[in-house]
Amino acid sequence: MLKIEDLSFRYSRRSPEVLKGLSMALDDGEIGILLGKNGCGKTTLFKCILGLVQPYGGSITFDGLDVLKMSPAERAGLIAYVPQHIHFGALSVYDSVLMGRVAHFGLRAGKEDHEIVRQLLYEMELEDFPSRCAEDLSGGEKQKIAIARALAQTPKLLIFDEPTGNLDIANEELIINEAKKIAREKNISILSSLHDFNQALDFGDRFFFIKDGSVRYAGDADTVNENSIGDIFDIAVKLMDIDGKRVVIKK
Amino acid sequence: MGHQTAKKRTVIIAMAAITLILAFICLFAGSASMSALDCLNALFGKGTAANIRIVRNIRVPRMLAAVIAGAGLSVSGLVMQTNLNNPMASPSTLGVSNAAVFGANLSIIAFSGGFLSTGNNIANYSSGADPFACSIMAFVFSALSILLILGLCKIRSFEPGTVVLAGIAVGAMWTAATTVLQFYATDVGLSAAVIWSFGDLGRATYETDLIMLAVVAVGIAVFAVLSWRYNALLSGDASAQSMGVNVKRLRFVSMLLSSLITALCVAFLGVIGFVGIICPHVVKRLLGQDHRFSIAASALCGAILLLLSDTLSRTLGGGAALPVGAITSLLGAPFFIAVIFSRRVHHGC
Repeated sequence: MLKIEDLSFRYSRRSPEVLKGLSMALDDGEIGILLGKNGCGKTTLFKCILGLVQPYGGSITFDGLDVLKMSPAERAGLIAYVPQHIHFGALSVYDSVLMGRVAHFGLRAGKEDHEIVRQLLYEMELEDFPSRCAEDLSGGEKQKIAIARALAQTPKLLIFDEPTGNLDIANEELIINEAKKIAREKNISILSSLHDFNQALDFGDRFFFIKDGSVRYAGDADTVNENSIGDIFDIAVKLMDIDGKRVVIKK
Repeated sequence: MGHQTAKKRTVIIAMAAITLILAFICLFAGSASMSALDCLNALFGKGTAANIRIVRNIRVPRMLAAVIAGAGLSVSGLVMQTNLNNPMASPSTLGVSNAAVFGANLSIIAFSGGFLSTGNNIANYSSGADPFACSIMAFVFSALSILLILGLCKIRSFEPGTVVLAGIAVGAMWTAATTVLQFYATDVGLSAAVIWSFGDLGRATYETDLIMLAVVAVGIAVFAVLSWRYNALLSGDASAQSMGVNVKRLRFVSMLLSSLITALCVAFLGVIGFVGIICPHVVKRLLGQDHRFSIAASALCGAILLLLSDTLSRTLGGGAALPVGAITSLLGAPFFIAVIFSRRVHHGC
């Protein structure tokens, strides 16, 4: 279980606080969605969890383990990250996924590392083109490789930064379904930022509305309503029920 | 996967073969009119005493210096470019060369009264000058420059942009200090200082080669061990960190080691520019950026360029060796431009 308590961060002593006592919790296998305007602190929260920046107050624990005190290699075995803008350098699909095992091996990958990679390529339906250059593939395929690379770390928490930001509508659905499958089948918690409310409702189990560096609303799908959206985003929306599915429409 | 890997390995083996061939050709070039057979005999201790001395004491250390310094400078450039995510980064990004030039100038102008103390200068030996004085001063100031910039950049967690800008600023500071020093120099001192900065493989001795070899070999071995981490760094800092790479520590270790290699090469041989920029780019264009292959290929490419440049510098000079630093650029730049504009570019894997 991911537990964040009273997290506070600022980039320098003179700059304003980006995170102000942010608290949230996410169960194992649960998909949490961060919603909020640009600059509200979502990316900074990810940076804190990934150890890229150090908060000056508060705590982040996973299953009781202090994430903030972990070395990058220790953290890599627990938390993996799928960035919005994906780069693989100049590696093949196979080597890109194998790179997820970098914390586990030094100079050469071992038998177990290769076994994990082969299994993931099969699961993510990438086994037909392992030698293709990862950078040459489509946005959806690159996203799948990035997910496979993250899963190669055998994490318990997956962080997605705008997973559908650069994808067309078909690939959006593909990636959302893939991520949901991972959470359900592998019992991996997912924490993702998303801008599209309808996608968020389709993807998430738990929703966190962030404003000015702290969580203002948290809860299940019912939390995504006219009031919370209006308060956080300063826009008027209407919730409709279409074929049993909640849909957010801008007024 | 197998096909691409085999292709890359073949290219690296071919480069190693070219390096070996060029190393032998390099031994045959020089002002003394010796045939290839004379050289070969002298190498195995046969022939006249003069020939044996020329080949064993001058040409072999020089050839070894070309291989070691070429490999060291080229790999340092590759590592700098990856770590700073900047194609313009070079082994001298931390102001190493500028600082070395200042140190050598200080030694020549202020402490030696315009006396150029270098290893193979017989006049120096006969007058009892310390052949390493200039190199030691150059290295000390290079090391100071490295520590100053890394110390400053630690404040900003070794952000690539900060490192590059700090390197430019500190480099400019050393250049300005050198200009002031040269302003007060005597004509002899000034010319000696300028000649030092040209870069000359003729200064190499077995001792300097051994010291350079130790540092370059350790450096390349460490870089090779870190090759997967450099590949991870190409995905971006956040991704690399999330995969377990300690990005700050990796940058610090890589920049320190590559700068030390450069400092040592410059201190012993003078400024040999361009090898550290051109060779990594040529390798990246031909083989891709996978560091498991590009580190070895860059080392060989640097050795090839410096061997070729040194052979030409002694062949074209008509008895006097032209500055090898100038030849590397004159030879490398057109090839570099051809590679950049070539359509037959390796797109990655």
